[in-house]
Order: sequence, then C-alpha cells, then structure tokens
Amino acid sequence: MDLLFYVYAAFYQFADAFSFLILSGIGLAVIFGMMGVINLAHGEFIMCGAYVTVLSARAGLPLPLAMVCGTLSSGLVGLVLERLIIRRLYQRLFDSIVATWAISIIATQGMLIVAGPSLEGIKTPFGSFELGGISFSVYRAILPAVALLLLGALYWLFVRTRFGIHSRAAMQDAGMAKALGVSTDAIYSKTFGLGAALAGLTGALYAPTMTAVPTMGSAFIVQSFVTVVVSGADVMLGLAPSAAALALIQALLTGFHGQLIGQIGLLVTVILVVRIMPTGISGFFLRGSGTK
Amino acid sequence: MLATFAIAMAIPAAQAADPIKLGMLEDASGNFAIAVIPKIHAVELAVDEINAKGGILGRPIKIIAYDTQSDNTRFQEFARRVIQQDKADVVFGAFSSASREAIRPIMDRYHQLYFYNNQYEGGVCDSNNFVTGAVPEQQFSTLIPWMMEKYGKRVYTIAADYNFGQISAEWVRNIVKEKGGTMVGEEFIPLSVSQFSQTIQNIQKAKPDFVVTLLVGANQASYYEQQASANLKLPMASSVNVGQAYEHRRFKAPALKDMYVTANYVEEVNSPESNDFKKRFHAKFPNEPYINQEAANSYDAVYLYKAAVEKARTTDQKKVAEALRSGSICTNGPSGKVCIDPKSQHLSHTIYLVHVNADHSVDIPKVWNDIKPYWLGTVGCDLSKKPDHNQYTPSHLPKK
Amino acid sequence: MFSCLSGPQTLGKGPLFWVLFFAAVIAAASVPLFASSFAVQNFSFFLVWTFMAMGLSLMWGYAGILSFGQTAFFGLAGYAYGVISINVGDAHGLTWVAFLASLTLPVILASVLGYLIFYGGIREVFVGIVTLSVTLVFETFMAQTAGPEWTIGDARLNGFNGMSGMPALTINLHSADFIFDGSPFYWLLLALVVSAYLGLRVLVNSRFGNVLVAIRENPERAEMLGYNIRFYQLIVFTVGGFFAGLSGTFYTLWGSYITPSSMGLNAAALPIIWVAAGGRTDITAVLVSTIALTWVSQQLAIYGSQYALILMGIVLLLVVLFAPNGFVVSVWRSLSKRSFDREAADAVREFTSAAK
Repeated sequence: MDLLFYVYAAFYQFADAFSFLILSGIGLAVIFGMMGVINLAHGEFIMCGAYVTVLSARAGLPLPLAMVCGTLSSGLVGLVLERLIIRRLYQRLFDSIVATWAISIIATQGMLIVAGPSLEGIKTPFGSFELGGISFSVYRAILPAVALLLLGALYWLFVRTRFGIHSRAAMQDAGMAKALGVSTDAIYSKTFGLGAALAGLTGALYAPTMTAVPTMGSAFIVQSFVTVVVSGADVMLGLAPSAAALALIQALLTGFHGQLIGQIGLLVTVILVVRIMPTGISGFFLRGSGTK
Repeated sequence: MLATFAIAMAIPAAQAADPIKLGMLEDASGNFAIAVIPKIHAVELAVDEINAKGGILGRPIKIIAYDTQSDNTRFQEFARRVIQQDKADVVFGAFSSASREAIRPIMDRYHQLYFYNNQYEGGVCDSNNFVTGAVPEQQFSTLIPWMMEKYGKRVYTIAADYNFGQISAEWVRNIVKEKGGTMVGEEFIPLSVSQFSQTIQNIQKAKPDFVVTLLVGANQASYYEQQASANLKLPMASSVNVGQAYEHRRFKAPALKDMYVTANYVEEVNSPESNDFKKRFHAKFPNEPYINQEAANSYDAVYLYKAAVEKARTTDQKKVAEALRSGSICTNGPSGKVCIDPKSQHLSHTIYLVHVNADHSVDIPKVWNDIKPYWLGTVGCDLSKKPDHNQYTPSHLPKK
Repeated sequence: MFSCLSGPQTLGKGPLFWVLFFAAVIAAASVPLFASSFAVQNFSFFLVWTFMAMGLSLMWGYAGILSFGQTAFFGLAGYAYGVISINVGDAHGLTWVAFLASLTLPVILASVLGYLIFYGGIREVFVGIVTLSVTLVFETFMAQTAGPEWTIGDARLNGFNGMSGMPALTINLHSADFIFDGSPFYWLLLALVVSAYLGLRVLVNSRFGNVLVAIRENPERAEMLGYNIRFYQLIVFTVGGFFAGLSGTFYTLWGSYITPSSMGLNAAALPIIWVAAGGRTDITAVLVSTIALTWVSQQLAIYGSQYALILMGIVLLLVVLFAPNGFVVSVWRSLSKRSFDREAADAVREFTSAAK
C-alpha cells in the first residue's frame, strides 16, 4: 500500500509539472506554433484572463462563470490586437517580436496603473485529500485532466471541424486556401483570438493558485516557449509529448535535488532535446512520413 | 525712494532659501512597486510636514525622484545622475539588496550620503550608508526562539535562493542549533519559481513543527495559496511577509493563517504614535492600500536626517554623516523612539510579533523594545572609529 | 573612396556620407570638452551596448541567425573581467590582461555552442530557444552563488546581489597610475565603437558578407553552390558572441558591477528590440538605433513618470507598424529615394561581376 502511495505522490508531481507546461504553452501553440507569430505578450494574455477571472469572482460570479469571462475577455483582446496590429505583420513575422514586446510592456504597466500593484486573490476550490500521510490539493490533482481534455478538444477542433481545416490550410498555404474560397483574413483573426482565449483560460485556471500581479505572465513565458518550440512543427501532435518529456525530467530532478536543479535541468533538457531532435519532437517523428 | 526700492529687492532674496535636495531612487513600477510605493509616499509626507514647519535650518526640502522600474541598470544610471547632475545632499533608495549593491559603490565613490530604508540580510558596514531597515539579529533572534518555544523544535526552512534568502536561512539555522532544535529540512527556491507542489510534499514528509518561509517576490508568494489548498496546516514564521508587501490583505483567507512575522512596524500597531501617523498618512494618501514597515523606516529616515543636519548646522555631507554617527541622533516615529547606532550606522528597533489569524486579521502577541543592531559591532565593524565600505555575512567576517 | 568600407550590404556610401560620419565622430569625441562629467559617463553608458547590438545585427540581419541569448556572452565576459581583475589587481598593467582574457571566454563559449548548434543541424527558431535557454541557465545558476563557497581566488561571485569592486582599466606609469575613468574611458570606448563599426562594415561588404547574405536568403542554395554554410554560421556566431562579450566587459567597467539579471529574459530581449527597431539588416542603422533607443528610454524613465514604459511601448509599436525595415533604414531610404534606384543598379552590376 505504501508503495502505491509513493507512486501516486511521484505521479502527482509529474502530472502537476506536465499540466503547467501544457497550459503555459497551449495558447502560444496556436499563435506561434501554427501562425508563426512570436508572441512575447503571451504572458499578458494569461494575466488578462487571470485578472478578469479574479475580478468577476470577487464581484459575485461563481468561479466557472468567472473563468469563462476571463477566457472570453482575453480572446476579445486578442481579436482586437490582431485586427489593429498583428494583421500587418504576417509578411514579416520577425517584427512580431518588437510589436508583441511593446504590447507586453504597455499591458503590464497599464495594468499596474489601472488596477494597482496587486489584486486581492481568490481561493483554490475543492479543498484537499489525503493519501499515505500526505495531503494534496484536489484542484491541482484534476488540472492535468483538464489540460489533456483541452488538448483533445483542440486536436478535434483542428482536425475534425471545418474551421480547423480551413485554419490549417490558411497557415500552410494562404494563396491556395484563398483560391479555394477560404476567407483567410477572418480565419487569421479567429485563430489568433482562439490562441489568446486559450492563454486567458490558462490564466483563469491558475488564478486561484497564484497571486494576481501585473507581471504574473512572466511565470509562464519561458515554459510556454520552450514547450512549444520543442514540440516541433506539428504543434498539436508534439505538444503533449514535449510537455511530458520536459515535465518528467523536471519533476525527477526537483524531487531528488530541489527546485534549483529542477529549473536548470528543464533548460538543459531543452537544449539537449533540440540538439538530438533539431526539428522538435513532432519533426523528429514525422520526418519519415513526408509531412511538412 | 531708492533705499525703499533696495530694501524691497533685498527681502525676497532672503526668503528664497536654497532648497535641500533629497534624491530618491525607488521602484515606482515593476516587480517591487507593491512594497515601494508606500515608501515614496512616506517620504513625501515627511517632507511636507517638515517644510510646513519651515524646513531644515530654514531651507525647504526638495525631492528629486527617479523611478528605477525595479531594474538594477536604471539604479546605476540614476544614481550617477542624482549625484553628479542633481547634486543631491542626501540620497534615499533601493528596495532589493541587488539594487543597493549596484549603487553602493557609486555612493562610496562620490562620498554621497545614502540612506537604505529596507529590511535586508544585514552586514553593510559602510561609512556613507545609513540603514533604517531591520536586520536578522532584530528579526530572527526574537522570532525563532519564540516559535520554538510555542510550537516545537523541528524546523523546516524554505528560502529564496539568493543572498537575502541564503543569509537569512543561515541565521535561522544558527539560532535553531543554539536553542537545541533540529533543522529537518532546508530548501532554496530560485526567484522565478511559482509552482510549489514538490516543496509542499517535501515539507509534509519531513514533519516539522513550523515552517520558516523566506520567500521573496510575486512568483514565490504563490506558495501561500498553494500550501493552504493542500491543507498543510503548519504555522509559518517569516521576516519578510506581511510587514513589507501586506500579503494578508492581498491573499484570500485563510492562506496566511498562523503566519508569524517580526516587523519593526505594521499598520495594525495600535499605539498613540502609530495611530497619529496613520491619520496623517491617510489624510495625504487616502487610497494607500497599506502602510508598511518600509514606509515607517523612510519616514523616520527623513526626520533622522533633519536631526543630523540641525546638529551639524550644515548640509555638508561629511559633517552630517559625522553627526549621524554621534550616537545622539534619534527620532520619535510611528513605532516609537528609534536611534542610530554609531558602530554599525543601523537603527535600533521596536520589534512587533505579528500573528495572522484565519480571517487574516492581525494581532500582536509580543513586543520587544529597543533591539539594537548589535551583530556588526560584535564582529568588528566600528564606523565611529574606522571607515569601511563592505558588506559582511556570518561566513564572511571583517578581517581582524 | 575606401571602397572596402562600402557596398550593397550597408547603407551609406560616397563622400557626403563619410564626411558626415567623420563630423559625427569628431563631435562625439569633443563631448567631454564642453559637457559635464555626468553627461560624459551617461553617454558612455549608451555606447556600451552598441557592440552587442552590432554583433547581433551581423548574426541576425546579415546571416539570419536569431540568437536570443547574447546576454550569456555579455554576462560571462563581465564576470570574467571581475574575477580576473580582482585576483590579479591593477598593477603592472594587468587590468588590460584581465580585459583581454575576459573576452576570450565568450569567444570559446560561442565557438563551442555554435558548433553544437550549427553542426548539430539546429536552425531558425530553435537557435533562439537554445540560446535563450543557455542565458537563462547562466542567470539561474549565478543568482544562487551568494554563499562564501562561491569564490574564485579573491573574487566573491556574490550571487543575485552582484559582484562589485573590480578595478578600472589602468596604465601604470612610474610616477603615477593613469586610470581610465570619465573622459579617458569615454574616448577609449568611442575609439573601439568606431573601430568595431568600420571593421564590421569591411566584413559585411567583403566576399564573406556576400556569402552571409546568400545563406540568409536561401541556405540550401548557398550550400549547393559549394559554400560550407555551417562554418560561416559558426564564425558569425563566434564574432557575435565576441561583441556581446565586449559590451559585457565595458558595462562591468562602467558601473564597476555585474549582476545575474544582466543575463535574464528582459535583458536578453532588449538587444533584439534595438536591432529590430532600427533595421537589423544594416550596421549603421543598428548603431544609431541602439544609442537612440537607450537614450529615449532613459529620458522617458526620467520625465515620463509612471507612463514611461507605456510611451516606450507606443514608440516601438509605431516604429514597427510604420517603418517595416526599421526606423533608421526607413528614414534613410526615404531620404535617398532617388539614388536608391541607382544603388540597386550598381548592386546588380557588382554582384554579377563578382560572380564571374
């Protein structure tokens, strides 16, 4: 029985790290992985989702509804930004670095001015449970399931729905997609908005577990970029294996050697994985099949 | 007629006194803004009060403030500017130890009088640097024995993995050992970490009686909510929380339940000086979310400077520094009377033990009066006799 | 005139440009004669970053390699100077030895890292991720070296609080020591910036530069034409690392201080912003934009109060939206619209004749 508890504890830590990586990266996977926009403001979409969630929950909405508000508001902001700014940068994606960096500093400082240096937070729902003398947070135990569900839903969206197929077509070859009658402008808008909404959902999901400060996006940004890039060209396929591999190493190292080694280990693993698989995980596994 | 005219011209010249320049390098934006904005306001309040009563030696104080954006490089840029361009008579500034260390060499280079008004890991023995913040011997020598007596001798420390956290953890370790306790665990966490599931699990496995939390920054502050949601149920001891970034107001109850903090001032102190200070503070800044210990320190620092300038009868920085070192410079501030210790140039403090309840209200079970910053003196730092420009730690002592 | 200094890869040619350039250098050199010592030191601060930016321009603008981790070399050189100079002292001209030695470390790291990257087949965005990871590993590691055990000789690394106390560059004469501080430091820095700038101009306008651009435009085609593209990428990456290290050493000398946050995410993004905003494909543009942007952001921080960062963001947004090739390049091109067509024709002629 003791061994079972020990195994569960280890699995819990792995799943916790895994869900953090997946949820950090999922919005960026759409915006950067699929659209190629290097979104340095990704952390601020997360922050937006978290802030709206906290404010809605404190205004009296039940938590799930508050999270929906957070997600939608972030998506809305994404739509607006896409129309005003990002749209002009599709031909020159490197410039999205400067543009999104600028958006990021405007958003962080703006939020500081408008809402102050921090917001009174909300509680983590669901309480705790005990196994083998160790108590765990229920909420954090189910987050990995939420992450996987989200991934599954996203995969279904991009592979099985019309929107998804049009979106992937527009990303792969805009000219051909347009010739086939796909309205690429609308697709780009919606896809970017979707990516922003997913980032907002990440913020909403983590809001009850973290302090709400304007710079909270910085807690996610490095993890999001490394997870998405390591997943390779086909983000939908590669995100889960990428997050799993990185989370496994990070959880093991943190468990045996502490947080410092865990953090450094994560970064070193990224370097090694990219060295071994220079086109990312999905690139490595797909290269034989002739898919781009 | 001509005489009248001459007199009329002369009088305004006598009234227009040359202002005393107080340079302020503080993070009004960025990661540290939460704890720093009250500091800035406290200085403004003190300067307003002093100017309303005629200034110092008849001269008004003028604040020259720079927003250093929680960025060490900005500190370096603006330190030079405030010294060489603005020619400040005194400089207040820095929140994190890293920013202080970025500018201390510049302060020393130009023999600039400098006040550091923050709690920190202790050890700065610098002739130009006066510190009003609390130091480990004031915060830990009071807190840790009290916690050990109340809760038990098994102690687990989690600390931010940098100078402040490591040195503070060293102090804790030494005191625990001295009092016959056991360190059942010690974890150092990089500043960028915001997810603590593994740490929480480790703590539970080690079964301590209480946890010493020396966590710094918004990322690490997420620990409190996470440990509450995992139902850790252990009392916590800290020198950094509540009194600085008022987490008990910002986090949802009961995340900080049974947190004990030693601070040299918190807004909840219910003494005549504190209440009067709060009244004046809120009159000027009605929307201040919290008046923290750094605000009290900064407020006191302005008055200490005033006392020293009046004693020295000049703003010449060398003479003012000597006056500050004379041993008789004190002020009656929000936490009562505080005096500058001549050997270390730090402040003696009243230390309040702040206890956070389940609903995040606060009570103060114990008060220690007049705890002197004795450590630097005992290891050989004596700025009243010998100039110095170093920072020492328990494992890096002055050369004998 | 000085034909090796001009070419299709750089903006600015002909007598007018060089006269203006010469005038600008003279003006810059005469700043200490009439400005306050603070202004001189402040201007030195702006110059310090130009090496890193020009190196990044070479790597990214000319060779198409986006490295997100130049700050790793910056920090390594800075710490190296600190450690070496604190240990050897400032007598016998040893600070210069420390200076040169501090630059060898980023060169070594850059060549090793470059080998791992380019000969390992890592390309495009993955280079950015790997280099970002490297600089963050350095930052995380260095931030915790606060304890007394983290000492190299006499130099304490001092973790997050940063290392200070390193001596300034000194020439030891029999009678007294000549310390490179204030104005002499500024002149030394200016001389090196101008040399680096001219040197890079020669480099990119040479055959080497043409190959770099070819690699940037179409790596497979360049490879098929027989160029060993990995070797070129490695060289360029090493040169970029060297320049980043030069900035790092000068920053450490300027402030007598180096800290791990110089290698963090925000610090790593800054050179990319300067280079991208100015026009990464041109050395002159990057030199100008780095100085301009560091100056503007400082002025905003002084006068803009809490709106400083917002205004900075708006400036950058306007630049990226309305000056697609970078603001310096765009301004330049619009100023010389008429001669642009002539330049294009010249470039084609030069290239076709070089290919023969």
